[in-house]
Amino acid sequence: MLSDRLRDVVGRDAVLTSASDLMVYECDGYTIAKNKPDVVVFPTSTEQVVQVVKLCNEYDVPFLPRGAGTSLAGGCLPVGGGVMIALTRMKRILEVNTRDRYAVVESGVVNLWLSNHLRPHGFHFAPDPSSQGACTIGGNVATNSGGPHTLKYGVTVNHILGLEFVLPDGRVVHTGGPAEDNPGYDLTGTIVGSEGTFGVATKAWVRITRNPEAYRTLLGVFETVDDATNTISDIIGAGIIPGALEMLDQLILQAVEAAFHFGFPLDAGAVLIMEVDGLEAGLDADAERIVAIARKNGAREVRRAASDAERLLLWKCRKQAFGAVGRLAPSYCTQDGVVPRTKLPHILREIQRIGAKYQVRIANVFHAGDGNIHPILLFDERDPDQVKRVLQASHEILDECIHCGGSVTGEHGIGVEKIDFMPRLFTPEDLAMMLRLRSAFNPDGRCSPRKVFPTAGACIEPSRAGRRAAL
Amino acid sequence: MDQNLCFIDAFGPLPVIQPQTVAELGDLVRRAAAENQAVYPLGGQTMLTYGLPPTRPGIGVNLRGLSRVIDYPARDMTVTVQAGITLAELQELLRTENQRLPIDVPRADRATLGGVLATNTSGPRRYGFGTLRDYVIGISAVNDQGQDIKAGGRVVKNVAGYDLCKLYVGSLGTLGVITQATLKLRPRPEEQALLTLGCRAEAVGPLLDQLHRSRTQPVCLDVLNGAAARWVTRQTGIALPDADWIVAVGFEDNREAVAWQVRQLIQELPAGQVPGLEARVSHAAEPLWRGLVEFPHRPEARLTIKANLLPSATAAFCLQAAALPEAPLLHAHAGSGIVVGHVDADLTPDRARAMLKELQDSAAAARGNVVILHCPAAWKTALPVWGAPRGDAWLMRSIKERLDPRRLFNPGRFVDGI
Repeated sequence: MLSDRLRDVVGRDAVLTSASDLMVYECDGYTIAKNKPDVVVFPTSTEQVVQVVKLCNEYDVPFLPRGAGTSLAGGCLPVGGGVMIALTRMKRILEVNTRDRYAVVESGVVNLWLSNHLRPHGFHFAPDPSSQGACTIGGNVATNSGGPHTLKYGVTVNHILGLEFVLPDGRVVHTGGPAEDNPGYDLTGTIVGSEGTFGVATKAWVRITRNPEAYRTLLGVFETVDDATNTISDIIGAGIIPGALEMLDQLILQAVEAAFHFGFPLDAGAVLIMEVDGLEAGLDADAERIVAIARKNGAREVRRAASDAERLLLWKCRKQAFGAVGRLAPSYCTQDGVVPRTKLPHILREIQRIGAKYQVRIANVFHAGDGNIHPILLFDERDPDQVKRVLQASHEILDECIHCGGSVTGEHGIGVEKIDFMPRLFTPEDLAMMLRLRSAFNPDGRCSPRKVFPTAGACIEPSRAGRRAAL
Repeated sequence: MDQNLCFIDAFGPLPVIQPQTVAELGDLVRRAAAENQAVYPLGGQTMLTYGLPPTRPGIGVNLRGLSRVIDYPARDMTVTVQAGITLAELQELLRTENQRLPIDVPRADRATLGGVLATNTSGPRRYGFGTLRDYVIGISAVNDQGQDIKAGGRVVKNVAGYDLCKLYVGSLGTLGVITQATLKLRPRPEEQALLTLGCRAEAVGPLLDQLHRSRTQPVCLDVLNGAAARWVTRQTGIALPDADWIVAVGFEDNREAVAWQVRQLIQELPAGQVPGLEARVSHAAEPLWRGLVEFPHRPEARLTIKANLLPSATAAFCLQAAALPEAPLLHAHAGSGIVVGHVDADLTPDRARAMLKELQDSAAAARGNVVILHCPAAWKTALPVWGAPRGDAWLMRSIKERLDPRRLFNPGRFVDGI
């Protein structure tokens, strides 16, 4: 049996097959769709991943990689079952080279561990998704993760120099490397963000970034969302690239304040966290310009984080805002649309209108500087009518993002959640070209079937009875 | 449609056609495919000698007719333009909004955006601002079926669908004809400064190590040997220190930050060991910037190479190359481990091969490679134009086979003869 063969490869304690064990892996952060894998394996080396992948080929079953399972789009959902390759035991930081500004990590290394590990050297890994305490570098690579500080520093792809990658037929390829500008196609850049549909990343050469010497972290309090979004537009328009520019609206402020007692004004329409970082020199000049812009746009007050502790608390409030949402409703669903920055006032008004139309409460906390919105739709999943209205409202919000010239996902990925939007963002010819690219890596569609594309995985019918019996 | 002729690496003459619309370009590609003709995309032809010679008869397609600005929402700091626009035209447009694409391109008056994307051109500021892959957020191309396909979009953050932008950047026109791109932009810096100082050979490595640890954040950290510096002086009229090696450190930021960094760097440098230290600020820095940017474009050179290395290996590699009997002109983006060298001396292909072998071994030890940017066409069959073979070439070939199965686009010219 395949499960026995898998035990031979990774060891008895590294294979899960019982229904109760598998339940943990039936979904990721996108809880609306669920399906259990047939087996979960925990390899500890690239060689083990290769052997697992080869066995999946031999037994003709699908497989998919999984990091920490923090995807908010069903990126780790084992559609149709199969073997889930959980990379969380491949968690070694193999090399740190500050002179050449790179580190080599296995894909199960948690994002924040890496930055913590680099701190004594004065460096960090720039992509900082809100889930960074749990999510893995391999998962960041798969989804091209962002985070608040990507406005200035770029998203994951801008920080990945090379990959060790197991292709769906078990071949291992090394793309890129620690030196820049290797001859040939940018395979590394092509693989990053492919959502696990090209194969399994086992190792990454990542760019490390010097820690900023200083920060100025400002909290702008606004009467209205419009005043806040106009401020964002004006800051960018003035040629300032803040390290981060985040917005929280009134509803989310209430939840965050109840959880963390930061001292947010509960009657404010919105607040902006505005942070400039870099060299100490010149930072006050930028901060003063930001304060002036905020005041011009009617800010009630602009506070400055007085100490590092206060700055960290402010960021904790921001990054754990999603956790605080539990105080507002039993369930929530967050969207990840993107609009051109100048369309932020419009899309936020639309979100309000759509919320009223479907009688869904919507909180907003998002990467305003990038135009990447995260409306959080509150509901109770025990009420099917609410679930239906939440999905309708979500889709209408994303429709409006497309209508504004934007996208349906800035950092969470298409996964299974947003597959239906792909034909609206791309023409059949565009999609065909992308599927041709996938076929160069994953010709049988055995790896991560039925993800990203409406037709994905058509070559394999993974729930076919004979195949599952083989397990 | 205008028609004339061109040669690529002495291969030709190829008839050149200039489509005026993407639809016309699509028709051209379909017709070429039907007639089993290859398609050679052409921009400003400033990098036409880059790569291997063509392997199949075909047509040259001049993209200069597709040079429209599609959309420039300056407040969103993005621009969507067609591929035939020259970099100079693009930057002039962006300057009206005090913005820029921070990518350095030689011969910007001729080089087109499409050509710059296909060749992944970069220059001294890459240390501070990265390369094109960091700025292309949307791309359109005509594929092997003559269809206008796109990926990415017009917003600065977007993970919907595969990132064909990364695949097309630096693909040397082998996967389709790039017709349009959407670019992320940057504000023009309020202030700039370029510091230059002279240096003896044995001091280059330690100096670069020290600059790497500096509290300042240079956007450019370049090294030139004396021969390259003299060339820059001839081109720009800028007097550089009379030394074996010149280090140039560039800053761009707001006024306070640039002023502080200039002062700080001077303070950090070992007193008395940096002859000819000079800081050029604001407009005074412009001519030298231009010299550093234009350096790679030197058609009169016999051989032009580009090495990519771990940055820490740059100094040793430069010293080794400078000691070659051919005395190449050398210019390194030391912060990024990129070295460009021109050989002007009489050179035989045999000697060129021996020289490349020697440099390639060092580059390999520094986790990099050496490719040829420019050499006589006749030499290309005998020289490793794309450097030492890489272990991932078979995957590149597999992508080419899927996206251009009939090998329509620039056949034979890229890595591994793709």
